[in-house]
Amino acid sequence: MTEETYSEKIMSRSIDPAALEMLARAEELGFETAWDRLEAMLPQCGFGELGICCRNCNMGPCRISPFEEEGPKVGVCGATADIIVARNLIRMIAGGAAAHSDHGRDIAHTLLLTAEGKGGGYEIKDEAKLKALAAEYGIETEGRSKEEIALDLARAVYAEFGKQEGPIQFTRRAPEKRVALWQKLGVDPRGIDREIVEIMHRTHIGVDNDPVNLILQGIRASISDGWGGSMIATELSDVLFGTPTPIRSRANLGVLKADEVNIVMHGHEPTLSEMIVAAAQDPEMIALAERYGAKGINVVGMCCTGNEVLMRHGIPIAGNFLQQELAVITGAVEAIIVDVQCIMPALGALSGCFHTKLISTSPKAKFPGATHIEFHEEHAYDIAKEIVRTAVENYRFRKPGQVHIPDEKTECMVGFSVEAIVAALGGTLDPLLEAIKSGAIRGIGAVVGCNNPKIQHDYGHVRLLEELIKNDVLIVTTGCNAIAAAKAGLMLPEAAEQAGEGLKGVCQALGIPPVLHMGSCVDISRILVACAAIANALGVDISDLPAAGAAPEWMSEKAVSIGTYVISSGVFTVLGTVPPVLGSPVVTELLTQGANDVIGAVFAVEPDPFKAAKLMIDHIEEKRAALGI
Amino acid sequence: MPVEGPFILVNPERCLGCHTCELACAAAHTEAGTVIGAVLAGERLQPRNHVIQVDSVKISTQCRQCEDAPCVKVCPTGATYRTETYTAVDQRLCIACRLCMMVCPFGAIHMATATVAGRDKRAAFKCDLCVDRPEGPACVEACPTKALSLRYPREVIQQATQVTARQFLEALESQQQLASNP
Ligand code: SF4
Ligand code: SF4
Ligand code: SF4
Repeated sequence: MTEETYSEKIMSRSIDPAALEMLARAEELGFETAWDRLEAMLPQCGFGELGICCRNCNMGPCRISPFEEEGPKVGVCGATADIIVARNLIRMIAGGAAAHSDHGRDIAHTLLLTAEGKGGGYEIKDEAKLKALAAEYGIETEGRSKEEIALDLARAVYAEFGKQEGPIQFTRRAPEKRVALWQKLGVDPRGIDREIVEIMHRTHIGVDNDPVNLILQGIRASISDGWGGSMIATELSDVLFGTPTPIRSRANLGVLKADEVNIVMHGHEPTLSEMIVAAAQDPEMIALAERYGAKGINVVGMCCTGNEVLMRHGIPIAGNFLQQELAVITGAVEAIIVDVQCIMPALGALSGCFHTKLISTSPKAKFPGATHIEFHEEHAYDIAKEIVRTAVENYRFRKPGQVHIPDEKTECMVGFSVEAIVAALGGTLDPLLEAIKSGAIRGIGAVVGCNNPKIQHDYGHVRLLEELIKNDVLIVTTGCNAIAAAKAGLMLPEAAEQAGEGLKGVCQALGIPPVLHMGSCVDISRILVACAAIANALGVDISDLPAAGAAPEWMSEKAVSIGTYVISSGVFTVLGTVPPVLGSPVVTELLTQGANDVIGAVFAVEPDPFKAAKLMIDHIEEKRAALGI
Repeated sequence: MPVEGPFILVNPERCLGCHTCELACAAAHTEAGTVIGAVLAGERLQPRNHVIQVDSVKISTQCRQCEDAPCVKVCPTGATYRTETYTAVDQRLCIACRLCMMVCPFGAIHMATATVAGRDKRAAFKCDLCVDRPEGPACVEACPTKALSLRYPREVIQQATQVTARQFLEALESQQQLASNP
């Protein structure tokens, strides 16, 4: 079947040819995907869409009537729509911040075990970064072994989670003005876990009933994510697994191989994926694969754990969030190995229709229909090998008639950590600052976030990126947006051809793509670090920079936390799907207008990528004018 | 022969009281067509149906589309009228005198603010069976438990007679069986 023969329904679901091919295949075989389930879910509950239902106590559930003169305007306890929306929103932030920060904690735990010599196969790969972080924490490095330093660092970082009075060390990387503003507003986080717990306390019935006060606590928790938990995850992962440097790879479902054992790693934490990558190179495993008639073992990524190993090892990436089911439908996946976050429980039933094994690994995350092989860092390599063995042994059950792998796999250049960007610039940020000042680069666009079947898959991402680079906005990206960009060919130096004259010149001179892959979702912390460095170099606050953010296809609670810490750091952000806040005029006004006077940035909602690009470019031009450049 | 108009039927055993039908009704009567779209555009949301609870039973209520409609009879301005198949309000003519509201035995009419020809005014609101909506009634389509359906009186009668006639035949048969195998 070719694109011309796909039904209108299929064409409306994605712009990615590989996804379209697999969606058509799914329809032909009668397999249901997230898109079908969304269709079956329509219309979705309007109270939920507006954020005006509350189940926080059992006098409820309560829902506020959105109708002008009819129906209840307060819950049984008297909570108004404004209170309910604010409470619900910050509970989403708590969920998102908890997810990122718990990921950070797991990495800190791995560093601790490694330092103690109990990490089953991990080692400290980036000693320079270890020392730099130790210096930040005031840990002595002179004449000490890397294990000794790592032990102190891991303990110091561990303590950030349980701190009561702050500060969280990495928050001090923000420009002084920003930190002073946070302190003035009372949103400088005191401890990572504390802020999340306090959200749950404040939103319990009868505690905080002031929408603005509630949102401020949401901001505080979000900062403890972006400049806390997420940043810890990024930095310590670099110490353990190496700081990414530019590397080439490929993206899209075509990276699956017809004649090899295909292992898809899906989820978020690099602790597992790093070891799977290593175990799959074990000669014993390769020999086993050959014994079963496979030509080798092909490990590929999916979502953010995929981004982690893509950035560090150039492991090909099979797709973003909405492609997880499509990968299984290729019939060529021996095992899809998952840990935590963004893993659809639908994978269990779906993989049951194929020979594919869904292997869950985290004690925190079990799935129906999955084989559970629990992962423990202490025995990381051995467990990874057992998982790989399970996948390899499953190869013989592959049904050749079921195999259907799309051809698409796009070349990409990834691995742009802050350190790598500075290196590409010749060791200092100056060339970038010069390019911004001269106007060759108008500004920086941070485009991130998930997929959401409410938006044509990758359309929001790719069209926005294309429009921005055309207008000389340099892009930094992470997460599922980054994967969309890689698939669309925007992460090649040659993509500079699609950029405006100024950006094109800069990219060609440096040999970099106009869209820079900075990593997984926790690696948005890298974007914060870059923004802080640029702001500090210019002697201004982040909110003064010609920069704008966007999450064109966001869906997760993590994205709500991200969006909040990004605007709390001073970056105007455009959301592609509407957050559940419209039921409250107060909260909506605060987030889209009032926040400007408080934290120097706001949210806008714009599903149309072309209009979103315009909003971002207008904002960038405004900031340029204010800076007098 | 007069044409028999359809009406909305609710099955109380299926209704969960979620109010989805109210939101769908309100959204269907806006320019934007969706709840979020209407709120973003600043359009008023106004349902024509009401989900209520009687003792422990939840049901959606709306206009019965009465053939001999009292609301039409009392309207002094001719705003409330009946076509061959349904009753409706022309909000342009409505003066919000509440007479129709008072005489409706089902409480299916209420007064609220309407925007008519760019001007805000008070007017009567009632179910119009979504006659302008190609997909038919929005509430029926929206109900997640399929508690609502658009029914034609003749069809309802036929269904009922079919069911009872079958029961009758079955009863007869079992009687004969009893007679032959005592
Ligand atoms: S906290 Fe208040 S609004 Fe929420 S369910 Fe309880 S009574 Fe209702
Ligand atoms: S949508 Fe259906 S279930 Fe929900 S209140 Fe209306 S009739 Fe009842
Ligand atoms: S038929 Fe249309 S107007 Fe009548 S109650 Fe249902 S949605 Fe409202």
